[in-house]
Amino acid sequence: MTTITGALRTRAGVIAATVLAAVLLLAVSGPFLAPYDPLENSAEILRPPGAAHWFGTDYLGRDVLSRVLAGAPTSVFTAFEAVGIGLVIGVVPGVTSVYLGRAYEWITLRIMDGLIALPFLIFAIAVAALLGNAVHQAMIAVGILLAPSFYRVTRAAALSHANAQYVTAARLFGASTWWVLRTHVWSKILPALVVATANATAGGLLIVSSLTFLGIGVVPPEPTWGGIVASGLGYLAQVPYGPVFPSLFIMATVGALNLLADAIRDTSGDHGRARALSRTGARRVRLT
Amino acid sequence: MTTLNVRTGVLSPHRVAAAAGRALLIAVPVVLVSTFVTFMLGGLTDQDPASVVLGDSATPADVARMRAAFGLDQPLLSRYLLWLWNALHGDLGASWFTKIPVAQSIAERLPVSLSVAAGALLIAVVLGGVSGVLAAVRQGGRLDRAVTVVTSVLATVPGFVAAIALITVFSLLVPVLPSGGWAPPSAGLLTWASFLLLPSVALSLDAAADVARQLRTGMADTLHENYIVGARVRGLPGWRVVLVHALRNGAGPAVAVLGMHVPRLIGGAVIVETVFALPGVGELTKTAALGGDVPVVQGALLVTIGVVLISSALVNVLLVKLRPAARREI
Amino acid sequence: MRAGKALKNVLAVAALVLTGCASQTSVGNMSAAGDRGDTLTWGWSLPSTWDPVTSAVGNDVHALTLVYEGITETDEKGEARPGLARSWTYAKDGRSVTFHLRPGLTFSDGTKLDAAAVKASLERGKGAKDSTVAPQLTTVESITADSTTDVTLRLSQVDYQIPLLLSGKTGQVVSPAAAKDATGLATRPVGAGPFVLKSYVPGSQATLVKNPTFWNADQIHVTNFVLKPAPDPSVAVAGLQSGQFDVADLTASQVGGVKAAGFPVGTTEVLPVRVLDVNNTVKPFDNPKVVRAISTAIDRQALVRTANFGHGRPVWQPFPEGYVAHDPELDNLYPHDVAKAKRLLAEAGHPDGIDIQLALGKAEDPVGELIQRQLNAAGIRTTLTVQTPGVNNYITRRYPFVLDQFNARQSPVQALQVLFGAQGLMNLGKTTPAGLPAAVARASGYPLTDPAYPAAIQAATRIAVTNMPNVFLFTVTRFTAHTPKVHGLRNWVDIQRFEGVRVEK
Repeated sequence: MTTITGALRTRAGVIAATVLAAVLLLAVSGPFLAPYDPLENSAEILRPPGAAHWFGTDYLGRDVLSRVLAGAPTSVFTAFEAVGIGLVIGVVPGVTSVYLGRAYEWITLRIMDGLIALPFLIFAIAVAALLGNAVHQAMIAVGILLAPSFYRVTRAAALSHANAQYVTAARLFGASTWWVLRTHVWSKILPALVVATANATAGGLLIVSSLTFLGIGVVPPEPTWGGIVASGLGYLAQVPYGPVFPSLFIMATVGALNLLADAIRDTSGDHGRARALSRTGARRVRLT
Repeated sequence: MTTLNVRTGVLSPHRVAAAAGRALLIAVPVVLVSTFVTFMLGGLTDQDPASVVLGDSATPADVARMRAAFGLDQPLLSRYLLWLWNALHGDLGASWFTKIPVAQSIAERLPVSLSVAAGALLIAVVLGGVSGVLAAVRQGGRLDRAVTVVTSVLATVPGFVAAIALITVFSLLVPVLPSGGWAPPSAGLLTWASFLLLPSVALSLDAAADVARQLRTGMADTLHENYIVGARVRGLPGWRVVLVHALRNGAGPAVAVLGMHVPRLIGGAVIVETVFALPGVGELTKTAALGGDVPVVQGALLVTIGVVLISSALVNVLLVKLRPAARREI
Repeated sequence: MRAGKALKNVLAVAALVLTGCASQTSVGNMSAAGDRGDTLTWGWSLPSTWDPVTSAVGNDVHALTLVYEGITETDEKGEARPGLARSWTYAKDGRSVTFHLRPGLTFSDGTKLDAAAVKASLERGKGAKDSTVAPQLTTVESITADSTTDVTLRLSQVDYQIPLLLSGKTGQVVSPAAAKDATGLATRPVGAGPFVLKSYVPGSQATLVKNPTFWNADQIHVTNFVLKPAPDPSVAVAGLQSGQFDVADLTASQVGGVKAAGFPVGTTEVLPVRVLDVNNTVKPFDNPKVVRAISTAIDRQALVRTANFGHGRPVWQPFPEGYVAHDPELDNLYPHDVAKAKRLLAEAGHPDGIDIQLALGKAEDPVGELIQRQLNAAGIRTTLTVQTPGVNNYITRRYPFVLDQFNARQSPVQALQVLFGAQGLMNLGKTTPAGLPAAVARASGYPLTDPAYPAAIQAATRIAVTNMPNVFLFTVTRFTAHTPKVHGLRNWVDIQRFEGVRVEK
C-alpha cells in the first residue's frame, strides 16, 4: 500500500485518484444517480443537450446522461473482468516460474510467448464471434491475452529478489518457499503489478469500446459506454456531438488509469528498478 | 530512421546471426502454442458447416457425409496437425461458404495491411522520434510539457474516434484526402499514398505517442550520464552529442516499445480497416468471424501470427545491434 | 417567375449538352477506362456468391443483375417485361409457355446464348443439388429447345407467374460452359448482363466493365462499374464528398445529413417489408392468441415515426399498398391496442403476462428496442438477444421469434411460397394453412393481365396472413444518395438497374 500512498503525494497521482474515485463512485451508484430511466423511450428523439437533458437524447429519445451513468458499472466492471482473468493466469505462473524448476519455467515462458504472438483485438473479435456474440467471451479472450504482461512483470520482479541475500538467509533458516513469497517477494512485486494492472484496465476499457463499436457484445437495450458511442455514430447528422460525451468518460477513465500508473511507477522503490521493469515488462499495456 | 542506423556495422555478423538463431529456436514452441490456440477457436465453436451448406432438408446421413468431407469427423489433435502441416505448405484450406482458397484471399489482402502497417510504422518513428528527441533536449520546457500532454491524451483516444476525427477533418471540412477505400500502387504512387495516408496516421498515433514518451525518458536519463556531460565538456557539437551518443544509448526502450507495437499495427488494424473500408487482413478476419467462416478466421490469424513473429524477430535483432545488453531481455 | 423559367431552360440545355457529350464518350472512347466520367461506384452490398443458383440471400439479386440478364426483366413497378427473350406466348391451356429469345446473343465469355444454353441454365437451377431456386421451378415439368431461339417450358399446372419468376435469380442465364466449374462461378460469373466482372475481392469490392454484347448495351453509359459495401453511416457524407461513392445506399438516419451536404437523395418505397418471423411450433407461439396479442401490442406507426424517421407505412401483410397482391382488407388488421393485447393474453392462459425472447440480426437496430418496450407495456416481457453471427436461422431454426426483413420475390406467388409454403425457407414452423395451396394454384391460373387475377392473388394473401403467425411491421424505404454528377437514376421497387444512368466527367 505504501506505493499507492506515495503516488498520492504527487499532483498527477491526486488528479488520477480523484478521477478514478469519481468513476468508481459512478460505477457503484451511477444507476441511482441517473435522472431518468435509462431504458425509457420518449418522443423527444435526438435532442441536443439542454436543461432537461444535459447530454441530449438518443435515437429512441432516451436520456444520454442517464444511459452514460447507468452504463458505468457494465463498462468498468467488464474491463475489471478481463484484468482479473489476466491477473490470475499471469501472476501465479509468473511468481512460481522462478521457484518451481527449469522445466516448468521453460514451459510457462513458451506458453506466454505464444500468447503474446496472438494479435489482440482481432483475436478477441474472433473469440466473441465464433463462441457466441457476448462480451464475456471476448473478455475471457482479452484476459488470456493480458496474462503474458502480468506474467512478465511479476516474473521480473520476483527474479530480481529471488536471490537477494535476505531471501537466501531466510531459506537457510528453513523458511518455506510460500513464506518467502508472502513475506519478502510479494511486497516487491506489488508496485510493478499495480502499475501493470492500471495500464491493463485502461487498455481493457479501450478494447471493450472498440468491440462494441464493431457491434460485438452489445446486448440491447442495456447501456454501455462503448455501445452509446457506437450507436451515436449512426446519428452524427442529427447530433454531431452525440458520441462525444461517452467518449469523454472513456478517455477520462483511461487517462486517469495511465496517469496513476505513471505516478506509482515514478514514486515506487528506487527509480532505477522501476525503469528497468518498465523496459522488460511493465510497459504500457495498450491493446487497441 | 536515424535511430535505427546509428550502430549498423558495429557488431560482427555472427552475433547478429546468433541472436536471430536464438529467436528462431524460441519461435518454434511459440508457433505451436499460438497456432494451437487459434485452431482451438474452430474446435470450440458450434458453427457446423455441414448443416449450413446442406440446408434444412438434409438427413443426418447427409450431414455425417458432409462432416467427413470437411474432415470434421477426425479427432481434434489430428485435425490440428494436418491443418498446420498443410499451412506450412501454403494450403490454408478454403472458405466454407465461398469456397475461395483462404491463402488466395489473404494474399490479396496482405499487401494492403502491410502497406498501412509500414506507413504507420514510418509515421510513428518520424513523429514519435522527432517529438521525443525535442522533448528530451528541452526537458522541463514548454515543448516538453506539450509533448507529454499530447502523448498522454493520444493514449486515451479509442482507435475509431481517432479515425473518424481524421475523416471529418481531412475529407469533410478540408476535403483533401479520400475518406476510405484503397488503390494499389499500380494505380499510381500518388493515388496509392493518398489512400494510405489517413489510415496510416490513425493507426500510428498510439505508437507515435509511446515512442515519444519512451524516447524522452530514455534520452533524458542518458543526457545526464557522465559520458554525455563529458562529451559536451570536450566541446563536441550539441546536435552531435544528442543524435549520436544520447540517441544511441537512449533509444533502447523506444525501439523495444516499437517492437511491442508492430504486432498491433498488423493485427490491430481492424478498426482502421473497418472505418476506412480497407480490404486488409484484419477486415477479412472480422468479416469471416462474424460470418462464422472458421477456416478463413484460422488462416488469417495464422498468417497474422507469422507476420508478427517475423517482425518481432527483426526488432529483437535490431535491439541487440543497438544495445548488446538488451540480449538479456529477449 | 420569368427569370426562374429562363434559368430552367438554360439548365435543360446544359443538361442536354452534357448528356450528349457523355454518350459520345461512352461509345467512342471505350479505351479511356479509369477516367472519372466513365466510372460509377455504387455503395450497396456485395453478393454472398456470384452464382444465382446457389445464392441463399434474397438481396444478392441486385448485384447479380449487374452480370446476369434474366430471360425477362422487371420494370420499375415490378412488372415483367422482355429481357433476353423478346416476347413469350402461353399455350391456350396455360400449361406451357414459349420464350422467344433475341437472335445472336452471346455470353461474356463469347459462347453462344441460344435456346440450348437457356435450357441448360434452367435445368441446372432445377436439378443442381445445392440449388436454392429449385423450389421455384417445381411446376416446370420439362424444358425443350424448339429452335435456336425458342425455349418451351411445360408446366405441371397452369402457372402464369413464370415470366415474373424468370426476371430474378431463377431466370438469370448462366453460361453452361462456365457452370461446369460451379465453385469457380462463385467468384467468376459468366452471364450476358450489362457488365462483366473484371476483378473481385470478396467483402471489399467488385470491379466490372461494360459488356458490349449485352442486348441493351446502348442504354449502358457507364464503362466501369465498381460495387462496394455501403459506407459506414458515420462517414457516408465524406464518402460521397471525396468521390469514394457516386451512388450510395443510406439508412434513414443519414438522409438528413447527406441532403444537408448537398447530395440528391432518391427515396423509393420498395417492395421489402420488415417482419417478425415466428415459429408457431414452439411454445408459447403455438397459441395463435399469443401471436395475435403480440401483433396487437405493437404500435407500427410509432416504429415508423421513431426508428425510420417517418419513412414507410405500417403493414399487416407481406406486400405494400399499390402492389397487385396487396389485399386492402388486411389494412389495420390488428390495430395497436394494449388493453386488447392483455385480454388476448389472458384468454390464451397468461393472465400474468409471459416471458419471451426476441432475436435480432444486429444489435444497433432501433426497431428491436422499440418493439421490446411496446411488448413489455402489454405484459409480454421481452428480452433481446443478438443472433450468433453467421448462423442462418432459416436453416438452423434456433430462434423462434426473430426481427427480420422480407425481401420481395419477383412473383407474388413465389413470395407466398417462401413465407408460408410447407417448405418455405422463411417459414420457421413449416406448417401451412389448409386452404393456401389451392388458393395459390388458383391465382397462378390467371394470366397476369386477366382482370380476375388481382382478386385471386389477394385472396391467397388473405388466407396466408390470417392463418400464419408472421407479424408484418412496416414497408421498407430505400434511400439512394448520389453525387450531382450522376444522372438518370430511376427508382425501382424491386431490382435496381442502371440502364440510362450517366456520369459526368
